[in-house]
Order: sequence, then C-alpha cells, then structure tokens
Amino acid sequence: MIVQSREFPTERRSEKVNERIIEALGRASRSLRMIAPMLLAVIGLIGLFETVITPEMIKALFGGSTLNEIVIGVFSGGISIGQPFLSYAIGGELLHSGVSLYAVTAFILSFVTLGVVQLPLEWALFGARFTIVRNLLGVLFAFLIPVATVCMLGFFQ
Amino acid sequence: MLAGVAVLYLLTFIFDPEVGKKALITSGGILRMIAPVLLVVFFLIALLHASINTKYIAGYLGKGSGVKGWIIALGGGILSHGPAYVWYPMLSEMRREGARDGLVTAFFYTRSIKLPWLPLMVSYFGLLFTVWLTFFVIVGAWLQGILADRLLSVDSAERLRQ
Repeated sequence: MIVQSREFPTERRSEKVNERIIEALGRASRSLRMIAPMLLAVIGLIGLFETVITPEMIKALFGGSTLNEIVIGVFSGGISIGQPFLSYAIGGELLHSGVSLYAVTAFILSFVTLGVVQLPLEWALFGARFTIVRNLLGVLFAFLIPVATVCMLGFFQ
Repeated sequence: MLAGVAVLYLLTFIFDPEVGKKALITSGGILRMIAPVLLVVFFLIALLHASINTKYIAGYLGKGSGVKGWIIALGGGILSHGPAYVWYPMLSEMRREGARDGLVTAFFYTRSIKLPWLPLMVSYFGLLFTVWLTFFVIVGAWLQGILADRLLSVDSAERLRQ
C-alpha cells in the first residue's frame, strides 16, 4: 500500500513530462511548418542570386574614391550570398587589384551581416520595426567598423 | 513569396534553362547543408517550450538580465553555426517570450564572427587585421544592441503587453 502510494505520483509525473515533451515537439514542428514555405522561398532566391551574381560582376563594380568604394563594398556585400570564405576570396582578389582595405573590409562585413534576400523572412517573423532598425544599424556599422579596423591597423603597424 | 520565387524560376527556365538548372542545384545544395542545423534548431525550440518558461527567459535575456544577458547573446552569436535565417524561428520565439530586442540584435551581429573560417581570414588579411576586425565586431554588436534597445523599447513593451 505504501509502495503504491509512492509510485503513483512518480508515474503521474513521468506521464506529465511525456505530455510536455510531446506538446513541445508539436509546437516546435508547428513553428517550423509555419515558416517552411518562406524558408524554401529564401533558399530558392539564394540559389538564384548565387548563380546570377558572379564574383566577376562584384569586382567590376569597384572604382572611384575611397568613400565611393566603401559604399559599393557595403551594398555589394549586402546583396551577395554564399559561404563566408567566398567573401574572403573575393576580398583578397579585390585587395590585389588595388581596391582599398576600407572597401574590402566593408564588403566582407556586410557579406555576412546584411542579407537583402533574407529580409522578407525577417520581416514576417520579427516585424517591420525590428527589421528596419536592425538592418539600418547593420548598414551604419558596416561603414564605421572598417574605418576603425583600418585606422587601428595603421596605428599598430 | 514561395509562389513569386516559383514564377522567377519558371521565367529563368524559359529564358535560360542552364541558369535555372544551376540555380536549382545550388538551392538543393543549400537545403542539404542547412538541414542538420535546422534539426538542431527544431530540438532547441522544443527544449525552449518543454523546459524553459517565460520567467526563465525574461531572467536571462529580459530587461534585467544585465551583463549575463550580453554574455549569452554575444557568445551565442559567435558560437552559433549555419546561416542566420535558420535561427530566425528560435529567436523570434525567444523574443515573444520576453528576450530583449537589443540582445537579439547583438546575437545577429556577432554571427559574422565565423570561428571555423578565422584561420582562412588570417591567411588572406593577416593576424592583426583579423584580431581588430573581430574586436570591433564584438564592440559594434554591443553598441547596436544598446541602440536597438533604445529605439525599439516602445515596440518591446507593446509586445509584452499583448
């Protein structure tokens, strides 16, 4: 009798835990199912962008004053898509072809921090206000960080 | 949006089937690449629902989280793997549960530090450049978080009231 009364709450607790796990898995799958169409759309767009926008096209964009090159670096990085190592390879080539380190830094930074293709998904999940503020801050810092990095590099070299 | 992208693919296949095929193969490759990360995110969301309640998230990532919140957000961003959009569902859930906008913003920004690729960055641009850029990205993420908190504070208060 004593054993039964001790086992009963344990069984009920494990039942409750199981119910909680099943409910949590259900909620997680509902969350992912809800965003699946948009996620697939973003992946489709990325595939299209990666095929259409080539590294040669990006390299052809650069030229003019340092400020102009930084602007080009930020925006070309923002629309480019791919693995981070691709930005280092393109950045390395840009540096060799005479593009300023400010612009190359802006390019590799915005390549991984900004993403025009992902904007609709971010907008849908986080709302317009958050998406606009976060991306505007991202653009602002894509200008500030390269300047700070190159200045410190010059100071210590 | 998916319908729009499907139309884009249809047009690409009509005008340049080679590009369309290449884009489709690239997309398939991306899907295969992110699938394991998506699985991790799925279990993290489930874990979030099963064991972590709103009070817990609010305590660690909410308004009064302080230094602890910044360390979790900045460190989590550096350690997280895969593309940013894979993390969107989990982060939006955490935000709904009370995580601060500033910490979510900081998490997103430190994601630009890709630990496995740092040696390659060093080989292209040198150690000093890599160290300074990484340092300024962390500082920048923190500053962006502070600014986002200020600019989005009204939005956060409304969200929590709902």
